[in-house]
Amino acid sequence: MALGGRADGWAKVQGRAVYAGDVRLPGMLYGVVVRSPHPHARILRVRSEAARAVPGVRAVLTGADVRYGTYGRRVRDMPVLAREVVRFAGERVAAVAAESLPAARRAAALVEVEYEPLPAVLDPQGALEPGAPRVHQAAWRYPGAVVGPEDPPNLQSRRVWQHGEDVEEALRRCAYVFEETYQIPPAHQGYLEPHACVAWAKPDGTVEVWASNKSPHRLRAQLAACLGVPAERIRVMPVYVGGDFGGKGSPMDVPVAVALSEATGRPVKLVVEYEEDLTAANPRHGSVVRVRLGVDGEGRMRALDVRAWVNGGAYAAFKPVEHVNLNGFAEAGNTYRIPAVRIESLIAYTHTVPRGHMRSPGSLEANFAVESTVDVAARALGLDPLEFRLRNLLRTGDRGTLGEPWMEVRGEEVLRALAEVLAQGGGAGGTPRVEEGGWACGVGVALYCRAAHAGETEVGLQPRPDGSVVVWVPFPDQGAGQHTVVRNVVCKQLGLPPGAVEVRQADTDQLAVDSGVGGSRVSLTASAAASRACQELQRRVEQEGLGGLRVQEALAELARRRPGEGVRGRFSGEELWLNSVCAQAARVRVDRGTGQVRVEEVITVLDVAEILHPPSHRAQVEGGVVMGLGSALMEELVVEAGRVVSSNLHEYRLPSVLDVPALRLVLVPGGKGWGPHGVKPVGEMANVAVAAAVANAVADAVGVRVRRLPISAEEVYRLLRAREARP
Amino acid sequence: MSEASVELWVNGERVRAPVWGTEFLAEFLRERLGLVGTKVGCGVGVCGLCTVWMDGKLVSSCLVPAVVAAGRHVWTVEGLVALAEGRVADPPPGLPSGRLVRAVQQALVECEGLQCGICTPGQLWAACALLQEEPNPPEDQVREFLAGNLCRCTGYQGILRAVRAAAREGRCVGG
Repeated sequence: MALGGRADGWAKVQGRAVYAGDVRLPGMLYGVVVRSPHPHARILRVRSEAARAVPGVRAVLTGADVRYGTYGRRVRDMPVLAREVVRFAGERVAAVAAESLPAARRAAALVEVEYEPLPAVLDPQGALEPGAPRVHQAAWRYPGAVVGPEDPPNLQSRRVWQHGEDVEEALRRCAYVFEETYQIPPAHQGYLEPHACVAWAKPDGTVEVWASNKSPHRLRAQLAACLGVPAERIRVMPVYVGGDFGGKGSPMDVPVAVALSEATGRPVKLVVEYEEDLTAANPRHGSVVRVRLGVDGEGRMRALDVRAWVNGGAYAAFKPVEHVNLNGFAEAGNTYRIPAVRIESLIAYTHTVPRGHMRSPGSLEANFAVESTVDVAARALGLDPLEFRLRNLLRTGDRGTLGEPWMEVRGEEVLRALAEVLAQGGGAGGTPRVEEGGWACGVGVALYCRAAHAGETEVGLQPRPDGSVVVWVPFPDQGAGQHTVVRNVVCKQLGLPPGAVEVRQADTDQLAVDSGVGGSRVSLTASAAASRACQELQRRVEQEGLGGLRVQEALAELARRRPGEGVRGRFSGEELWLNSVCAQAARVRVDRGTGQVRVEEVITVLDVAEILHPPSHRAQVEGGVVMGLGSALMEELVVEAGRVVSSNLHEYRLPSVLDVPALRLVLVPGGKGWGPHGVKPVGEMANVAVAAAVANAVADAVGVRVRRLPISAEEVYRLLRAREARP
Repeated sequence: MSEASVELWVNGERVRAPVWGTEFLAEFLRERLGLVGTKVGCGVGVCGLCTVWMDGKLVSSCLVPAVVAAGRHVWTVEGLVALAEGRVADPPPGLPSGRLVRAVQQALVECEGLQCGICTPGQLWAACALLQEEPNPPEDQVREFLAGNLCRCTGYQGILRAVRAAAREGRCVGG
């Protein structure tokens, strides 16, 4: 049962929700950054006299003026401002602080930088070849680096996952081996709030920060490492985050804002323009993924070999995981029983914009490649693609492709539910299709399975004399609804109405630990911590002999007896072996004449357990599907000669309401969830398999295989004409 | 490049503030007047975050030079909230009624017509302006009208549900 609307709903519909860019402090200055136009160049000279002469300018900084170390989420390889060399077009070279934004912009435009352009390497395969221009002289020396002096100089991260028999041996024994190569371009997360922060380096040596960042405690630790000060001297203040999708987890411009604040003794606001965010933040990696799928004479998958070459850009600083690789690649083929699996992901440094995480990082890349290959195999073997998948599904009791002891695997329930929906209106593959004019209809399916993880967090509960409760949480709500989920857990467990529970975000001084929002783990983690806090509060009520009272009376009395006191609940992650499965189908129409693809409907079937707030659960799925459609059909961050040329949202087109087809959602309840409330994660489930489903539908409709995203009319047209030209 | 000053009406009040020739209305509202409810996304008139009402029309305030707004009547989300709360004595003709604003706000909250909230002030304007003009619009017209307001979070489904619910001042229903 839904408990009320969103906890943050009214603040947002009244324009009262405060985001980092909305913060205004007395004496605040405005910061603007000067960026390199070259992918790789030596900085010969920076002249700032003209900039300093602009009325209202209070500081102009270059790399030489900044004492801080490099920064990063794991690997600290990014300078606050470039020194000596720039490694991507868009890198920060200088920064200005002024009394007004127009003055700061004017001054930034007057900073003159002389460069000596150097040879650049722009693609990952080229970067890993011997003799390629080096992005870093000694990448292994950076704190947190996962490469060594023996590795190719431009290697950023190499990760191999393997399980079962030797994959080459297994492939040799297969009756059929399907080898396919797919390209997934870089993409921007598309959050509509560009990166923003306010930093105030106070005279007492402490620093206060407001930032569009979803992981305040991690931000504090990353800043402390960069500034060389104890984390306790930094306080990250609560603000809402205007969209994230993986892109809002790094310090980004905060260190340079702190440097400007320290140089001027004033608070500094730094809000980048959208164009800067598109061209110089931390977009999705571009990848080339080669798949070799071995199938035996009975149509059973026997071996899978996946190799990805991934463009990491100029810095590894924006990846949060220990090995700075993309965990999504480990999911390749994980919905199937495959006795021999080997997956390798090579991320290379290049002289392009540094890359970061985008909603389910690596998953879309692996899924598009593998689920397309599975379809290629099915069609080549004369099998219905859905039937071929059913025949090969991993089932509860099976070990996962990498040996995971999953609690359950509900691929079969989910795929059969999808088959039922499709049976009402034409199944995938070999089905009658209506054609009118030049248009052909097709249906494609794809399957996705994602593991769930738990993080670490702390939740505080503070009863008030009116019988209500304040819930303190250490993480922001970046839109996914985690504040509402926590509120509903507290309501449920204490027996309170939604109006009696107020969720507030704490600053980093108020609560001790939090691993931040990400990896679809916050609802799991926070609901577990909130549940423990509720138990603690109930214990307190009993101890005080208030157990006989009605709950709000008891809380009111507790608040009166112990004013201002509260309780805390903490939860630290554990290995869950929990997953969730999503099957998607796309119905498309393709114009044989022009190659235009129209998606008519996307059907999403999702494995679920207990749902803590059904409206936001559904919204996570709907928003995910539309983001998946963007990746499938529209979105590519175009990089030419090392420069991102998709300059703003008129060129980097996000789906508008006119681009959204009919969306059908079928939930398959009864999954075994995890934790006190038996939940499964949802945030990164529905955006992944859409691209493969659409590509498979295009193949179903017109018989051509699109091997690069986005699926454009130009590409489909090219493939159709190439096929006609074949003798 | 120097500061001049500009005078206009914002949410029914006369305001006067310094302005640079290069300054746009969105920035002027946010930084000079502190009306930060209006958000800025792309800055080039594509995303709709900075939507405000100017002399009877919705405009992207990131495209209107602040000096062009001189002498005009501008209403922001803060003004919409004042309308909803009945704090505006004599609203100019053409603005959505307070009752309508409340219905749209309620519907956006109940129908999950928002997530991160950064596009919400703009969506609120678009939905109110549409329903003020056409109390019961067909689906095509709703989509056409909202096409200038991007949302990355919701996939638009919650927003469409909210507009339908607000149109009949009813509850949120699925589908």
